[in-house]
Amino acid sequence: MSAKAETLKRPGLGRPLIIVGSVLVVVVCLFPFWWMALSSVKTLRELYTIPPIWWPEAPTWDNYRKVLFESNIPRYFLNSLVISIGATALALVLAVFASYGFARFNFRGKPLLQSFVLVGQLLPTAAIIVPLFITLRVLGLVNTYWGLILVYMIITLPLSVWMLTSYFKAIPVELEEAAIIDGASRLGCLLRITLPLSLPGIVSVLVYAFVTTWNEFIFALCFATDSSVKTLPIGLAEFSTEFNTDWGAVMAASVVMTLPIALLFLSMQRLFIGGLTAGATKG
Amino acid sequence: MQRQSTGYLFVLPALMLLAMLIAYPVAYTALLSVTDNQGEYVGLENFRRILAARATPIAFWNTLWWVFGSIVFQVVLGVLTAILLNQNFRGRALVRSVTLVPWVVPGIVAATTWAWMLHTEFGIINYMLTAPGLIDEPVGWLTNGRTVMPVMIAINVWKMFPFVAIMVLAGLQSIPNDLYEAARIDGASFWEEVWYVMLPQVRMVIVAVTLLLVIWALNHITIIYAITRGGPANRTLITPIQIFRTAFEGVQFNQAAALSVMFFGVAIVVVFVYIKTLASSGDQP
Repeated sequence: MSAKAETLKRPGLGRPLIIVGSVLVVVVCLFPFWWMALSSVKTLRELYTIPPIWWPEAPTWDNYRKVLFESNIPRYFLNSLVISIGATALALVLAVFASYGFARFNFRGKPLLQSFVLVGQLLPTAAIIVPLFITLRVLGLVNTYWGLILVYMIITLPLSVWMLTSYFKAIPVELEEAAIIDGASRLGCLLRITLPLSLPGIVSVLVYAFVTTWNEFIFALCFATDSSVKTLPIGLAEFSTEFNTDWGAVMAASVVMTLPIALLFLSMQRLFIGGLTAGATKG
Repeated sequence: MQRQSTGYLFVLPALMLLAMLIAYPVAYTALLSVTDNQGEYVGLENFRRILAARATPIAFWNTLWWVFGSIVFQVVLGVLTAILLNQNFRGRALVRSVTLVPWVVPGIVAATTWAWMLHTEFGIINYMLTAPGLIDEPVGWLTNGRTVMPVMIAINVWKMFPFVAIMVLAGLQSIPNDLYEAARIDGASFWEEVWYVMLPQVRMVIVAVTLLLVIWALNHITIIYAITRGGPANRTLITPIQIFRTAFEGVQFNQAAALSVMFFGVAIVVVFVYIKTLASSGDQP
């Protein structure tokens, strides 16, 4: 047996394997975006040449001009912003109270209600799209901001409740007990003690909910058919047919749509990953 | 110290909204599935008709193919990436952030970008394969019935393996160090350590993530819908897309509801297995 000192050193992947693996992962993950960005600054002639041009001779902003000034994309961008912020904010307000209720109180039927929230988060959207459409039509909410904001609650609310409950549970209850002895109300406890302490949790819930609604496609496709409320994903899908698939413009629109998400994600990354792993594997 | 009624007050607003948005539509779907356009009760007629439709069995097999094809590769690639990212090396934080990018970007952006890359004549993929002579002539990836589903699965794998990687990585990083030390004293090689220490320790995470992936594969139809809408010749038609098209293109709300009920039945089983798994993994120390 060669039980020398070196076997006690933690064995790892060899350096070459790590380098090859990392490069492979990075290339696979990023190449499509690089190609997207590159295609967005190519002229029509450069787009349709074989062999493909790896570095355009004269980068052009024409595609961006087309997207930003000659299409509905800016309007859709605004719609997306209104709807995502609306759905995220409304869900957060309701979720703060519900999560506090779940984290701090024991009442009959609590486990059942909590599983209902989890089921809500996992429910296949396709299964309820028909009745939702009929209901929204009856309420006159098809093609309105409120209609989409309300429907997006299905996605953002269960998620926010689930994530926030685990954050609230992690905050020591003794802090609140001390405040209650000093005469604070339950609501005061929540707003003055628990809420400020769970700020990182709140931020990660906000980011996660915003990104999810920003990216949502199927609900928007059904419930927003008028260009006054269409969101960016629908605009992008439409773009490919509207211009008989002008790939340069489609890629420019993709860049416009990806940038806010990429920036948001990169600046909040730590919180985002923390919230994600806490929310999905723990109860 | 708490009174029950106060708890209800806190959770009530959110739960009422959810009941309105989820419980009510589910009940309404059930009602729609056994009635006709005029709201008359027709028994199982809608079920009979949708099951008799030629597209239904095709969609069923496509769905199975789509779900299993996707999760197998997502889990394998995700776990391998997690093991890589669990190593100590310079630039690890950067690689980790980059890995998450496909998962964060909108599905529709992934769909359009890949559609352009897979373009038959001017796509970069065909060029990369034909230039070194790996294939003789360009393949119509999205129009050829034999390649279109594997390509959809590949895009879905690209989009979702980062999620598996990050979850498994979190699991790997919580493994207590003495387990590694014990393995090292026994002279375990790296791959033995992977097999006997890492994988058993993150088994529950992998099971939970896999179930979540199944649910999401049934849920997220953006990639397929945006690229092919289920075509060519129903080769990528999966059940959720069939529901969507039956309802909004065929305007057969009642048959779509019947299909929804069956789809919902299968999905809810997966959801409950997932919840049970979460609960049992929570019991372990």
